[in-house]
Amino acid sequence: MLEQLLIFTRGGLILWTCKELGNALRGSPIDTLIRSCLLEERSGAASYNYDAPGASYTLKWTFHNELSLVFVAVYQRILHLLYVDDLLSMIKQEFSAIYDPKRTSYDDFDDIFQQLKKEAEARAEEMKKSKQLGKPVNNNLGRKQGQVQNGSVDGGSKKKSGGESGNDGGDGDKSRGRPLENGNLRNNHVGKGEVPAMVNANGKENGASKTGAFDVNKLQKLRSKAAKKTETVVNKVPKGEPNKKITKKNRVWDDSPKESKLDFTDPVSENGEQNISVVAADEGESMMDKEEIISSDSESEEEETGKDSNVDSKKKGWFSSMFQSIAGKANLQKSDLEPALKALKDGLMTKNVAEEIAEKLCESVAASLEGKRLASFTRISSTVQAAMEEALVRILTPRRSIDILRDVHAAKEQGKPYVVVFVGVNGVGKSTNLAKVAYWLLQHNVNVMMAACDTFRSGAVEQLRTHARRLQIPIFEKGYEKDPAIVAKEAIQEASRNGSDVVLVDTAGRMQDNEPLMRALSKLIYVNSPDLVLFVGEALVGNDAVDQLSKFNQKLGDLSPSPDPRLIDGILLTKFDTIDDKVGAALSMVYISGAPVMFVGCGQSYTDLKKLNVKSIVKTLLK
Amino acid sequence: MDEEKMEKLKIQLQQLLNEAHEFVQKIPPTQINVAIAVVLSTIVLFLIIRLFKRKSSNTIVLTGLSGSGKTVLFYQLRDGSSHLGTVTSMEPNEGTFVLHSELTKNGKVKPVHVVDVPGHSRLRPKLDEFLSQAAGIVFVVDAVEFLPNVRAASEYLYDLLTKASVVKKKIPLLLLCNKVDKVTAHTKDFIRKQLEKEIDKLRASRTALSSADISNEYTLGVPGEAFAFHQCSNKITVAEASGLTSDISQLEQFIREYVKA
Repeated sequence: MLEQLLIFTRGGLILWTCKELGNALRGSPIDTLIRSCLLEERSGAASYNYDAPGASYTLKWTFHNELSLVFVAVYQRILHLLYVDDLLSMIKQEFSAIYDPKRTSYDDFDDIFQQLKKEAEARAEEMKKSKQLGKPVNNNLGRKQGQVQNGSVDGGSKKKSGGESGNDGGDGDKSRGRPLENGNLRNNHVGKGEVPAMVNANGKENGASKTGAFDVNKLQKLRSKAAKKTETVVNKVPKGEPNKKITKKNRVWDDSPKESKLDFTDPVSENGEQNISVVAADEGESMMDKEEIISSDSESEEEETGKDSNVDSKKKGWFSSMFQSIAGKANLQKSDLEPALKALKDGLMTKNVAEEIAEKLCESVAASLEGKRLASFTRISSTVQAAMEEALVRILTPRRSIDILRDVHAAKEQGKPYVVVFVGVNGVGKSTNLAKVAYWLLQHNVNVMMAACDTFRSGAVEQLRTHARRLQIPIFEKGYEKDPAIVAKEAIQEASRNGSDVVLVDTAGRMQDNEPLMRALSKLIYVNSPDLVLFVGEALVGNDAVDQLSKFNQKLGDLSPSPDPRLIDGILLTKFDTIDDKVGAALSMVYISGAPVMFVGCGQSYTDLKKLNVKSIVKTLLK
Repeated sequence: MDEEKMEKLKIQLQQLLNEAHEFVQKIPPTQINVAIAVVLSTIVLFLIIRLFKRKSSNTIVLTGLSGSGKTVLFYQLRDGSSHLGTVTSMEPNEGTFVLHSELTKNGKVKPVHVVDVPGHSRLRPKLDEFLSQAAGIVFVVDAVEFLPNVRAASEYLYDLLTKASVVKKKIPLLLLCNKVDKVTAHTKDFIRKQLEKEIDKLRASRTALSSADISNEYTLGVPGEAFAFHQCSNKITVAEASGLTSDISQLEQFIREYVKA
């Protein structure tokens, strides 16, 4: 049974809601849907899951772009209603017939709605019956064929994995209350585990409905795999203990005499500042504070058509599109948008945007343009381009304020140090950029302290020590092979003692798949509750950005012992000077995590730290 | 060959010019003067009309954080009721209409152009399109959920007050505390004081940044003194309203004040 069905304008006025389904919705699912899905350009997803204390809903929606209307259906997630999509499209048709921009009450629509609902339910019953007949036959077919969209398994599982893929889309907004009861946790785990497998298996076919086709066997298999995974982790820990007690013996490679001295560090530098006259690094103004001069070159529209490789179809397409543009075509259909969207998607992918992200973005833009009337004297490609540009600006505009200095001042007033934790995979530039951020903060008269919580990599502490000496700021370190969470905790206590305003915590690089390391990281974050969790990602990364960020967020959410886990708050994009105009990694990261890009590292000296310039990135992406 | 053609063209042009010259000279001088006078006066008329039009623009912009009640207020102004309720706006609501409460008034009432701009932070850039034609800005604040959002509200308000278009044209601003029908709503004085305090802090941290970070070129208030709204060059007033119970008289007063009837 539907919980609620709403029709509202894009401007926010509710035009009609079903009065018979009078149950008040718990929480505010519609507002959350708008904020975290539709405004985040995920409107191409099939459905959205919303969890409130006491209820878990699934929301499905459809747009009428010409009249700027949105139709949303809400129902309980445990019910797999098959007729919702059908019902929504029928309602859209009927309502657009009676819609009038001046009218604000549509009571006569109640009867029509009841009628449509009965029809849709009847149709769903019929389909279910035919599925029942078809099911025993299809179960005998191989699993490969089971993946292809076919009647039987589709019905029941379509909505469920529509929900899963919607869940994947809703990944970005983690702060929604995630159920952490065991059963549900595993369920979510399964969902994540299976959808990437589906994406890999299906390759190009990425429509949400197609990824929906799975069968129950796979689900059970993955469930047992998840159970095994948690078991092996538990097993690993006790095994690790006895290993630590055995000390490592030096490996002898050949007959050469044993090296007595392995530590080549300069004994002078160990002692610190005595013998070396250190000049505090002052390399001028950090680029954060310099205004970026963007050369505005006028885009010529004709350059878009040059992208198309096929010359023949280009000629024909150009002529017919010119004709259509003058005539002003009736309504944009999906088939019309396809070629323009495909060209845009390819363009985005050449700019190093992850394939999955480009796909989802194009779907979202298509959803917002479908059914719209083309204004005369505009080509389809230019309409699509404009819509895509707006969508990109929307995604890259930060959702919350990225004014760190303001946050630092606020924390200073409260008397606590402002803690920033740098996380990321190996080799992205955490330590280097930590030093750059410290330099920038120093330029704004903030007392900074570094905490060396990378207790694993050889030389990490020395690296930070060198930076600290050059910048003349205190550093808190405990050497190697210590628990990073404890080191961080003590560093924060030390900072509040010696009056530092900001503590920058450096952690060891770790792969997103490495469960014990991710557990250690989430423990560090849980124990110290930092003010800012900064994910450091390099701009060179391609499709892996999606995997890195989503897994980091997911692991931070799952493995944290607290019911309200901290997730990634901001992104630091590094090695920006190595990519010329292939700036797509910024888009992939922001899209998948919803976190704003707070800094951009563009070089290896202290001043090479910039802010992200949204307009120039969008321009570069669409060139 | 080309040179010959060029020569011919030149000669033809010369001839045309001479003919025109003669023609003009033939017309009696009064006619020419009249013609010139007519042309000049129409140009002057156009300029005057444009000037007047710009002076009395009738656009009121409703802005504020997401969830403060702008769309409800918009529909109250237009229709006198908020119908079935509202959700987060994704697009601005625009309308030129006579205020609902004034429909019953006798005499000619000038319609007002009201724009309700979405408050969601991702849709902020939309505000700039409407600011250029605004005769007045209404900044709607949720009086119930004020303290959790005070920082976001003050940052938005600060950005608004330091925008070049607002400062140069001295656009009057109404700070509207909405949802006062609820029991836990704060008073307008409390809200005003809190916002002044927050903006003062913002002023300190923003001016600490170097020039590139200040996207707006103006600083607020008097340096050295605590910030207060009356220090701004554009007039800022505070009022209360309740969107759901149609208690919007103070808002309408503000609109009437700045959109001449």
